[in-house]
Amino acid sequence: MIKVKNLHKKFGDLNVLNGIDEHISPGEVVVVIGPSGSGKSTFLRCLNLLEDVTEGEIYVDDQLINTPKIDINKVRQKMGMVFQQFNLFPHLTIMDNITLAPVLLKKMTKDQAVKTGHDLLRRVNLADKAQAYPAQLSGGQKQRVAIARALAMSPEIMLFDEPTSALDPEMVGEVLDVMKDLARSGMTMVIVTHEMGFAREVASRVLFVDQGVIMESGTPEEVFSNPKNERTKLFLSKVL
Amino acid sequence: MTAFQEWFTDFSNLFYKCFIREDRYKLLLEGIGVTIRVSLLAVLIGILIGMLVALCNLSKRKLIRFFGSVYTDVIRGTPSVTQLMIIYFVIFATVDLDKWIIAAIAFGINSGAYVSEIIRAGILSVDHGQTEAGRSLGLNAFQTMTRIVIPQAVKNIFPALCNEFIVLIKETAIVGYVGLMDIQKAGDFIRSATFNAFMPLFGTAVIYYILIKILTLLLRRIEIVLRKSDIR
Repeated sequence: MIKVKNLHKKFGDLNVLNGIDEHISPGEVVVVIGPSGSGKSTFLRCLNLLEDVTEGEIYVDDQLINTPKIDINKVRQKMGMVFQQFNLFPHLTIMDNITLAPVLLKKMTKDQAVKTGHDLLRRVNLADKAQAYPAQLSGGQKQRVAIARALAMSPEIMLFDEPTSALDPEMVGEVLDVMKDLARSGMTMVIVTHEMGFAREVASRVLFVDQGVIMESGTPEEVFSNPKNERTKLFLSKVL
Repeated sequence: MTAFQEWFTDFSNLFYKCFIREDRYKLLLEGIGVTIRVSLLAVLIGILIGMLVALCNLSKRKLIRFFGSVYTDVIRGTPSVTQLMIIYFVIFATVDLDKWIIAAIAFGINSGAYVSEIIRAGILSVDHGQTEAGRSLGLNAFQTMTRIVIPQAVKNIFPALCNEFIVLIKETAIVGYVGLMDIQKAGDFIRSATFNAFMPLFGTAVIYYILIKILTLLLRRIEIVLRKSDIR
């Protein structure tokens, strides 16, 4: 579903990604872990070209996407993204946050979008918040709306960029629960997170990224209980 | 007769002479119409130009940024009276347009330079995460700008824009230079016809004040609606 070949990313003189090769299959829940500054967020943001790629190739559904020839907006419509800082649109109600893209991009009529919006809000347990504004919600509620907003475009893949890092501890659980539900429903997901417990429970595969390369990749069992790479061991000894 | 009664009689005689006799109030009414027409059209032109120039100034292409900065630079660096007269007597000298429309274009061009800086500041004030969220949903750059960034920018810059509109209305008091009879010019006309400075000048001031007061109240209403989404 997503194929990454020899991905390099430089910010000025700084090498953030130093040749990443990775293949994500449909239905996989890939959790990316690693120390801060390791390039894991940059890797995720390259997948939908929020960062432009310095070198290498990214394929989505066997289509090369880092080329001017393709319409990146079309590709992004099938890749939902959830951000650390939620990035809800503060000038719009929760419902309008959810319906804006599907209606504007002509995926649905306004009526259909509102109906889907109510379904999605029920799914993230926020059925009563449709007419509220983002400023009236807690962090956890905002992030659940952000997930619903991304799902409204019926994406094939969901990208999560540290979705719980900006939350108060007591709100982390409610967001992770929604993500677990989503994983169980068979959604293909790539998740950058520091929640090791969650990674162990939900991931079908864990990637350990450090110094801009994938140091280790395997099932949660393999990576957490039996890490082979020295750097993985060191990292896990600090966070577990 | 008490001093007050005496003063009052003088005042009302003067008032009658300046505003009522020979239907002079009609001059002022006409002036109010001109001021409002010129200001309204100029505000619209100013916003349009301002948006365009702001987008130029934020462009990734150097050449486009250059045009934007030259525009802002030249307009801010020259007096508006000079600009008005150049546009009226030089650029539009042979064009058959109503005087007030030409004046509005001149003020619009002038205001555009200031509005562009306000809009640029507004766009920069919106967190970049908003743009990323819009783009990640598949919106193109234009849709993201018009549906997500600009609505938030407008809310942030609304007070500064109101300020600019108020300045613009008062700035139009120089249209007399190209022979338009606005409020200021009408007051001036009455002054030379009656040989009295006090009444027409204060009259002019009061009219401007009331116009701007009404506008301020209206704009405050709009701001309250814009701030609706901030309620917690």
